[in-house]
Amino acid sequence: MRAAYLLKRFGLLLVVVWTAATLNFFLPRLTPRNPIRERIVQMAVSGGYLEQGIEQMVKAYEAKFGLDQPLWKQYFRYLGDMARLDLGYSLTAFPKTVMELIGEVVAWSIGIALATLLLSFSIGSLLGALIAWPKSPKFLQYLVAPLMAVSSVPAYIFGLVLIYFLAFRARLFPMSGGFTLGTVPDGSFAFYMDVLKHAILPAISVILVSLGGWALGMRGMMVTVEGEDYMILAEAKGLKSRRIFFRYAMRNALLPQITGLGLSLGYLVTGQILVESLFGFPGIGALLNRSIFVYDYNAVLGITFMLILSIGVVTLILDLIYPLLDPRIRTGRKVR
Amino acid sequence: MARRFNRRDFLAVTGLASVGAMLAACQPAVVEKVVKETVVVEKEKVVEKAVKETVVVEKQVGIKNVPRERTLIYYFGGSGGTWSDAGNCNPYLATGFTHQTGLAATIEGLEYYSAFADKFMPWLAESHEFNDKYDELTIKIRKGVEWSDGVPFTARDVVYTLNMCLKWAPQMRNSAYIRDHVKEIKAPDDFTVKITFLKPNPRFYFEILTFKFDTGQYMIPEHIFKDVEDPTTFQFWAPENGWPVTTAPYNVVYFTNMQKFLDRRDDWWAVKTGFAKLPEVERVLCVPQVDNTKAAQLAIANELDQCLDLRPSDMKAILEQNPAVISHTGKKKPYGYVDWWPNNIGFNDLEEPFKNPDLRWAVSYAIDRDQAIQVAYDGAGSKQPLFFPTYKSLQPFLDSVQDLLEKYPSNEYNPKKSEELMTKNGYTKDKEGFWVKDGQRIVMEMGGWQVWADIGPVVAEQLRKGGFDAMYHQPSDWGDRIALGKVNGFWWGHGGSVGPDPWLSCTLYHGKYVEVTGAPGWSALWRWKNDEYSAIIDEMGTYPMGHPKVMELFHKAMEIWLQELPSVPMIEWYHRIPMNTTYWTGWPTEEDPYLNGACWHLTFPRILDRLKAVK
Repeated sequence: MRAAYLLKRFGLLLVVVWTAATLNFFLPRLTPRNPIRERIVQMAVSGGYLEQGIEQMVKAYEAKFGLDQPLWKQYFRYLGDMARLDLGYSLTAFPKTVMELIGEVVAWSIGIALATLLLSFSIGSLLGALIAWPKSPKFLQYLVAPLMAVSSVPAYIFGLVLIYFLAFRARLFPMSGGFTLGTVPDGSFAFYMDVLKHAILPAISVILVSLGGWALGMRGMMVTVEGEDYMILAEAKGLKSRRIFFRYAMRNALLPQITGLGLSLGYLVTGQILVESLFGFPGIGALLNRSIFVYDYNAVLGITFMLILSIGVVTLILDLIYPLLDPRIRTGRKVR
Repeated sequence: MARRFNRRDFLAVTGLASVGAMLAACQPAVVEKVVKETVVVEKEKVVEKAVKETVVVEKQVGIKNVPRERTLIYYFGGSGGTWSDAGNCNPYLATGFTHQTGLAATIEGLEYYSAFADKFMPWLAESHEFNDKYDELTIKIRKGVEWSDGVPFTARDVVYTLNMCLKWAPQMRNSAYIRDHVKEIKAPDDFTVKITFLKPNPRFYFEILTFKFDTGQYMIPEHIFKDVEDPTTFQFWAPENGWPVTTAPYNVVYFTNMQKFLDRRDDWWAVKTGFAKLPEVERVLCVPQVDNTKAAQLAIANELDQCLDLRPSDMKAILEQNPAVISHTGKKKPYGYVDWWPNNIGFNDLEEPFKNPDLRWAVSYAIDRDQAIQVAYDGAGSKQPLFFPTYKSLQPFLDSVQDLLEKYPSNEYNPKKSEELMTKNGYTKDKEGFWVKDGQRIVMEMGGWQVWADIGPVVAEQLRKGGFDAMYHQPSDWGDRIALGKVNGFWWGHGGSVGPDPWLSCTLYHGKYVEVTGAPGWSALWRWKNDEYSAIIDEMGTYPMGHPKVMELFHKAMEIWLQELPSVPMIEWYHRIPMNTTYWTGWPTEEDPYLNGACWHLTFPRILDRLKAVK
């Protein structure tokens, strides 16, 4: 891997992040809406009472948040802040910063989103490989149609069904939250079990819908791989079917799936917004959803920026590690 | 020879790192342990001369276990199951603090007023008195009141609070009003507050300093805030220091974005002085609301004791499925009580076509309120003819204008009269049945929040049948649009009088608050200006509550208001709140209406005083 390639990829990342950050800054400002006014009025109105001097209060807080400055000044200050990963103050949780808000929930999102992603990836890929494998039991073939159907249903619809039947009616699982209300996280085994119990329904709803995608993708790749010369050679050598399946077929078919897995990491959060909100699960998705509802523009911009950055960084990492994952890929190297 | 870092090594390292990252991610953000620590606090001794002495107290910091039968679970606020204000305990954080999500239990007022019982309850203050000119107010502070850190609550705290509002105006609650009306605040001694006004203000104590519904000024501890450089950025959350400090029977001991514990303080001043008994609720567990459906499910499952008011259909389902849940009216319609927020439909009265009172009346006559209530609320609602809640103490005022309401029937459904008024003003109907003048239809972009999603579309359809090109929707910038005067037909509630005086609601139509179209005008969204009406309200404001002249002026003002009908009176606003009696009884109901039952209002601590444990 040459330095020029590294520099080029890194430069591209910077351009992507800068463009996204710039759009992130200007798009909300195209509307005449005033986040401070909307927040203050929302708070006043939720109390049923609009006190006198609200507009004066709005002006005072505009100055406090630097929104009274010329746009170009705000823009350059914003770029500087983003470069330092200073996402500014939350409007609704002031004096907390957006970074603090993200810090409060990121572990929950990573916990559930990463676990569900890895589980659905592993189960889906294995299932897809088995469906395509000629020596698998026949009943597996019948799974293709249900998998296709399930993968087209939004996760929150599954969530609603699961809540109604398994939580509200059967009382097998809690209806919402990250852990039992009234308990304090103490790091004990019982607490982790409680968290696990609360994570099961949201996880199942995500896994069920994403499983199909992974399985169908893997099935397609397996069909392609099965026709390769090295597969015929392996069979001709008399290798055990199990060995051919795992070491020859699945291993080679998995590469595009891993690319997909990497890209999915970037969408880890956005994909969870509705599910987290539905289950009252305290992750970044729920935070973003709440920030939109309560007009916390700084939080919305900050979270969006972090998502853009995470997608950009993951894409860069993927570009850089491809050669390590697949020895056939070598960037910038002449073919001898 | 050094071995090369190959692809297998890379995959192995990546796998291990991923497992490590996952384990790290699963680590809880907060780990609480019960510990004992010694903290030093400054205690100000109240003697004839204030003397400062330093005492050492032992303070238990930690979270104790409280059984469900001693816990009150309150479900309110937030979005998607989380709040945004974790740790914000300073009530003067204008954009980040709300008392509604449970913190009302940790704040006490100088005095309380129950609109339902029409009763005043002096609390931190013992009494108050105005001078003859009503430009000076003297408040006597109750002796024996203490903050939770043991420091006495005195007149200096009241003075400091109000002076802080003056200093930081307009950044704090009611600070612009205080700045515009208060000349000076002094404490001649530890138990006396003297407030001098710039001009007579006989309602200052009731409107600003008395706790009722969501209004009233929070008191803060001088001994802590005096050392705070910028109180608009101060969180006031450090449980290890005993912060926040409060005079209330409950204090925050745990506060995250998912829950807060408000634990009973057994050393509450009111118990020590014999002024009140210790409440039976040992912990108020506040939880953010996911949505109304989830609230209904939790109420049916006895997993909450109270939540935000729900729609009639949700309430009906809960009351039918859980025999232990009651509403203010038991199991009967309207499943709730009249809130202080009567709803009208407003217009921009400065601009055509609704500049013309005839058109506003034509709209009013085109609405069948009874039908709308039946369809939208299954009959669980009621209409109102002006803009006042029908509270006991306001009823005499409403009775006094019955003659006017006969002359100006503001709730009447009369399509014929509506048509007459439109025709009189030169409107004709086009082939689709909409009123037209100079080729222009009367467009009513009726907007609202989610709370009007049931009745809003019904009324819009009635207006379409009446010839008005009406449409109900809920744009996200709806608040801004009405503040700038860009829409007609908007829904709005009146946060005004709760009794025993109609003056505050009347001021909502005062011409001095009217802004030109395009400038934000929050205090007078209808942009109605009538100098005669405004002069009457000004004069009314110079008389104290209960003065006979107030009734006379009210009648005069309402005659002008009804002639002009600046907004169209619609419905009473109801709080339909499920109250679970599985663990707690003593909730306020129509049979025992000691208060309104909303736990999000500032009267929450006084509800907690009355709740009785079932088990």
